[in-house]
Amino acid sequence: MIKGLRERFRYFKATGTTGIVAFIMSLLPDEKTCLDCIKALEQGGCDVLELGIPFSDPLADGEMIEKFHHRGVEKGLNLDKGLEFAFKVKEIIHMPLVIFTYFNPVYQMGIENFRTRICEIGAEGVIVPDMPLEELERLTAKDIEVIPLVAPSTPEARIKKADSLNPPFIYCVSVRGITGMQELPEEEIKDYLLRVRNNSISPLALGFGISSPEQARVFKDYTDALVVGSLLASVIEEYMSQPGRLPQEIESMIRKFKKAVSC
Amino acid sequence: MYPDARGYFGRYGGRFVPETLIPALDEIEKSYRKLQEDDRFKSQLAAMLKDYAGRPSPLYFASRLSEKLGGARIFLKREDLNHTGSHKINNTLGQALLARYMGKKRLIAETGAGQHGVATATAAAVLGMACTVYMGAKDAERQKLNVFRMQMLGAEVVKVAKGSQTLKDASNEAFRDFIRSFEYSHMVIGSVVGPHPYPMLVRDFQSVIGEELKEQFVQKEGKMPDYIVACVGGGSNAMGIFYPFLSLPEVKLVGVEAGGKGLLPGCHGATLAQGREGVLHGALSLLLQDEHGQVAPTHSLSAGLDYPGVGPEHAFLKETGRAEYVYIRDEEALKAFYELSRLEGIIPALESAHALAYACKLAPRLRPDQSIVVNLSGRGDKDVEQVAGIKEV
Repeated sequence: MIKGLRERFRYFKATGTTGIVAFIMSLLPDEKTCLDCIKALEQGGCDVLELGIPFSDPLADGEMIEKFHHRGVEKGLNLDKGLEFAFKVKEIIHMPLVIFTYFNPVYQMGIENFRTRICEIGAEGVIVPDMPLEELERLTAKDIEVIPLVAPSTPEARIKKADSLNPPFIYCVSVRGITGMQELPEEEIKDYLLRVRNNSISPLALGFGISSPEQARVFKDYTDALVVGSLLASVIEEYMSQPGRLPQEIESMIRKFKKAVSC
Repeated sequence: MYPDARGYFGRYGGRFVPETLIPALDEIEKSYRKLQEDDRFKSQLAAMLKDYAGRPSPLYFASRLSEKLGGARIFLKREDLNHTGSHKINNTLGQALLARYMGKKRLIAETGAGQHGVATATAAAVLGMACTVYMGAKDAERQKLNVFRMQMLGAEVVKVAKGSQTLKDASNEAFRDFIRSFEYSHMVIGSVVGPHPYPMLVRDFQSVIGEELKEQFVQKEGKMPDYIVACVGGGSNAMGIFYPFLSLPEVKLVGVEAGGKGLLPGCHGATLAQGREGVLHGALSLLLQDEHGQVAPTHSLSAGLDYPGVGPEHAFLKETGRAEYVYIRDEEALKAFYELSRLEGIIPALESAHALAYACKLAPRLRPDQSIVVNLSGRGDKDVEQVAGIKEV
C-alpha cells in the first residue's frame, strides 16, 4: 500500500477508490487496550488513523466522543501524554497518522513546540476542529499539514479558500454540526459533497455521522474517504469490559466498511 | 475602534469555533451592522427598554452606607430595578429583536445564575419566539427559583449534568444546539464572551448603562465620577458601564472578580488575576486552566461569577491598563450583601455584592468629595434561599 497521507489520498482520488479513516481517542480505556484496538484497525484494512487528544471542553464533538474526552481528562490525560502515546503508535503502524486536538492545549504547549513534537512523531496531519480557516495560518508551516474542515453551511468561496491551502485532503463535516451517529438526509449530503467537489481539486474525506457500512456504501462515490468515529467509540464502549474481545470486534467492523466501499 | 475587522481587541478575541458556525456568525454580524443604522430598529429597541424593561434605571446615592464607611460618596446604578431583576434584559431584548429581524424563530441561551436565562425567556415570550435554556445541574439546584421562572415563561430548561455542571458546560451544550439549529435559531450569548461578533454585540447592547450613568451623574453632581466599580464573571455589566467612559481617563474603572475561598486552584473565579491566555467558547482571552490547557474547575458563592473565562475586551483593558481588576472573596461579598440590605434596604445579587464589597474597601481610602459608582447589576431575590442557608459571619 502507498505510504504517505498525501499520496494515499491522491491515489484514492485518482483511482476512484474510497479509503477508510478511523478516529480513536488516545489511551482509552487504557494504553494497552488502545494499542490493541489500533493494531486491529490496521489489520482490518483501515487506511488512515486519526488519533484524538482528550480535552475538557470538546464543543465540536457529539455525546459519544465527548464522553471519551471527559473520561480522558478525568484520568489526567492531556496533549503531552497524547503525543507521547502517538509516538508509540507510530512505531507499530504503517498507515499515516493524523492528530485531532482542540486548539487550547496546542496554544498552551506553544505552537512551535507542538510542531516540533508532531515532526518527531512523524504524524502527517493535524485537525483542529475549533479553528476556522482564518485561524489555521497560526499552525501552518512547511513541515506540518493542517487539514481544513468544511460543512454543509460553508459557502463556495470558503470551500475554494480551504482548497487553496493545498491540503492532503479536505475534511467534510457531514451533519450540520457535531460528531455523532444520526440519520443523514442522503440527498442533501450528496448535493453538498458535489458542491465541495465542484469547487475544489483536493481529495475529500466525509466524516461526522457515518454509522453503518450501508451508509458508507451510499456515499462512497461522492468522497475519497470516509471517517468512522462515533461508531468505533460505541463499539469500544460496548466491549470495554471484555478487552480480549474488543480487537476482533473492531477488526471485523472495519472489514465490513472496507467491503462496503470496495464493491 | 475595537474590535478590528477580524473581531480582535488587540490580540484577544477572534473566532475559534467549528467552521460550520462561521456563516451563522457572519450573518449575525452583517445584520447587526445594518440594524445599527436602522432608525426603526433603534427606536423599537429604545421603546422596549423604556416601556417594557423600565429604563432608565435610577442612580441612587447610598447616603447611609457612605456615612458609615466614611470617605468617598457611594452611588448605585440600579440595574436591579430592571424588569426581570438584572442588567441582562438590556442584551436579551436587543439580541431577540435582532434575531427576529434575521427571521429566526427560536432563541437558545446558556445561563449560570439563571438571570440571563430568565431574561432570554422573557424576551422570547414578549416577542413570540420559542426558547431553550441550558443550565448546569449544579446551578439549577442552587438557583431553583430561576428554573421555575423560566419554565413559567414558557421556556424549555435543559439541565446539563456533564463536566463541572455549571455555566461552562451549559455553554458547551448551548453551542452544540446552535451548531445544529442556526438556520432557524439564534444563540443569545449572555455575556461579552464567545466568538466575534458577540463580545461587541453584548457590549453595545449593555452600553445603555454607561450612557445613562454619564448623563445622570453630571446632572446630579455636575462632574464625572472618580471610580466605577462593577463585578466581572464574563463581564457584561462591567463592559456596559465601562464602555462609554473608556475615553475619559479621569474616571477610574475597576472590575471585581470572584476570589471564592482564596486564590488556590479550583477555589475561585478570578480569571483576570490568575488566568493565562487561552481559548474557550470561541474566543482567545484569559482563561483559568492547567499547564496542559485543560480548563480548570472554578468556585464562587455566586453562580454568575463561577466561570473560568472572561470577555476578551476585559483582557485587553487589563493589558492596556485602562481598567484595573481586583477580586473579592465569598465571605467579603456576603458581608456586603448584608450591609446593603440593612443600611439601604436593598438586597443585592451575590454577583453585585462583590462589586459592592470592593467599594466598601475603597471608600474609606478616598476623600469625601470623591465618588464611587457601583453597578448594582442585579437584585438578590434569587440568592435569598442560598444565603439563608449560610451562617452569617
